[in-house]
Amino acid sequence: MVFLRRAEPPQSSSALAAASATQSSSGFLPGALVDRPRLSARDISVYYADVQAITNVSMDVAQHEILALIGPSGCGKTTLLRTFNRMNDSVRGCRVTGNVIFDGEPIYRKGVDPVALRARMGIVFQKPNPFPKSIYDNVAYGPRLHGLVDRQAELDEVVEASLQRTGLWNEVKDRLHKPALSLSGGQQQRLCIARTIAIAPEIILMDEPCSALDPIATARIESLMRELARNHSIIIVTHNMQQAARVSDRTAYFHEGHLIEIGTTDQIFTTPEQSLTEDYITGRYG
Amino acid sequence: MNNTIDPERLRQRLADARAERLQASLQRRHRKEAVFRGLGLGAVCLALGFLAVLLFTIFSQGMSAFRSSHVQLTLEFDAQRLGDAGSERERLEQYQTWLDEALLRALDAPESRASAVRPLLSAAAVYQVRDRLEDVAARPGGRATLWVLASDEVDLIQTGVVDRAWPEAARSLSDQHLAWIDRLSEAELLERRYNRAFFTGADSREPEVAGIWGAVVGSFLTLVVTLALAFPVGVATAVYLEEFAPRNRLTDLIELNINNLAAVPSIIFGLLGLAIFINTLGMPRSAPLVGGLVLTLITLPTIIIATRSALRAVPNSLRDAATGMGASRLQVTLHHVLPMAMPGILTGTIIGLAQALGETAPLLMIGMVAFIANVPSGFADPATVLPVQIFIWSDSPERAFIAKTSAAIMVLLGFLAVMNLAAVLLRRRFEHRLK
Repeated sequence: MVFLRRAEPPQSSSALAAASATQSSSGFLPGALVDRPRLSARDISVYYADVQAITNVSMDVAQHEILALIGPSGCGKTTLLRTFNRMNDSVRGCRVTGNVIFDGEPIYRKGVDPVALRARMGIVFQKPNPFPKSIYDNVAYGPRLHGLVDRQAELDEVVEASLQRTGLWNEVKDRLHKPALSLSGGQQQRLCIARTIAIAPEIILMDEPCSALDPIATARIESLMRELARNHSIIIVTHNMQQAARVSDRTAYFHEGHLIEIGTTDQIFTTPEQSLTEDYITGRYG
Repeated sequence: MNNTIDPERLRQRLADARAERLQASLQRRHRKEAVFRGLGLGAVCLALGFLAVLLFTIFSQGMSAFRSSHVQLTLEFDAQRLGDAGSERERLEQYQTWLDEALLRALDAPESRASAVRPLLSAAAVYQVRDRLEDVAARPGGRATLWVLASDEVDLIQTGVVDRAWPEAARSLSDQHLAWIDRLSEAELLERRYNRAFFTGADSREPEVAGIWGAVVGSFLTLVVTLALAFPVGVATAVYLEEFAPRNRLTDLIELNINNLAAVPSIIFGLLGLAIFINTLGMPRSAPLVGGLVLTLITLPTIIIATRSALRAVPNSLRDAATGMGASRLQVTLHHVLPMAMPGILTGTIIGLAQALGETAPLLMIGMVAFIANVPSGFADPATVLPVQIFIWSDSPERAFIAKTSAAIMVLLGFLAVMNLAAVLLRRRFEHRLK
């Protein structure tokens, strides 16, 4: 059963586990709640026209943790991820009930500007999608858009720092003004991450960020995620269970729109309580 | 026992027969492919053949219109007589007399009457003389040599459109005229020269001075109005429908109507323009302004549909990327979606304008078919447009207008080719910039 071993020990899993044990109540799965959460989903259901994609999901995301959402295709992981920063608003026929609490404020409420929300909650997509502009303009887009910097020198600094943190700086510093689409797939995805962290989001949502990349590029991005988790909370959707086991602090398993089990990654991968979870992680399902 | 299939034997049989059957089926497939390819090639050749016939007909008929017959005359003026002539009409009559004298001298036929030789010259020749040689005529003992326009009948003889072998009654020029033409030709006083009037003049009842410049300017002014209205309105409509509008019964209805609008016969738009712009709003008849408004109605659906499909071709991942960065819907559209869709939008717009450039029927309804002998100088001036000019000329009884019609078609095709080339170049440029 224990065929997956974490590459490194979780940073705060014991504290989280303790917290969730004390806080869980009848309405929540054990392990779903944490002490002082950054982001909380409460009773979230999502419908596409008549089809229900997510059913009554409640869970917390802690400060500076990496939370992995796993489950078979079509289980609603991506939908839930896009619910967190209201990316589903622009999807026709999509309806959300329940609420997401970010910084103590519900985000599904009149008067909440999704634009402001997304400026604090970055998202990285499955397929690298840099803008068809130069490398520099890609990273500078967010700071310019939100007016985060006053001077060109500051912008240069932000662009360099973001590219440094994603390990891309040395590879692209001589061709900052070349088109971003001339980069390789792995570089493009790191550029997308650099673009996201350039606006210093509090939470980074990642939707299978490595599924289009080769193992070397994947390893790069995984170590980058551990690095980013020092300052950000990261929620990552992944199909790759080894990846979930390697990088995440906690893991949530979804099945047909239901949150089946959530807990520390160690616990989910070594001693799952639900048979569905066990079937999935041992490869009997999905 | 016969009905049951032994998998082992079936596999054996498949393996044995495979090479042979594959060969047979491959031959069949290749034959089909060859037939299909032949049909496609045949269709292309047929289309090219039709195009070649069309172009050949137009060019062979129209080339002669770019030159016209001129007669070289030496005019001897008398400043005294010009000074005696009081009114403008009397002065013109005086010029006509000098012109007649010069022609009679050139023909070496002093005994002939002036009215007999006049059919050789264009009615516009006297104006040519007056406009070009006014200074010379005012000088005492003024004398000058000038190439003046011959009449269209002379030009038809020269180009061979009217055969000299025809009986005299079937021609508008008599045998005597033919003899004079030969005499002028021998003396090298009759030549086919570059037809400047065709490119600089407006329409005229005299084929030899009728030009397309009036129609070109009319087309240009009309298209300016069309572009200025149809492009912003069309793109804004498409952007709203594609990027902002909620999907409900109302927007479905709007979409259906826009698509239907593209299929409405254009003459209906002409009637609409006549009823609304001219009768109700009191705009001037025959004006490029009204023509442009009517063509805007016709071009709008084309631009809207082209823009919408260009917007739809922009991958959603780009919208997601910008939305995820915290761009508002308008910013996503202006910063990313529109620039990416611009090549398609521009192509659609130019195709729409090309369509508007060739549109005739609706403009007939709003009076742009009137005979207009002046080059329009503004949006409210009476004007005509290239295709309507072609229509008018093709309908004229004078034989010389046949060549004019073909020549005008060549000019119109030239403009269309330039516009399509512009569409291709713009598209390339934008696509290059995005990469």
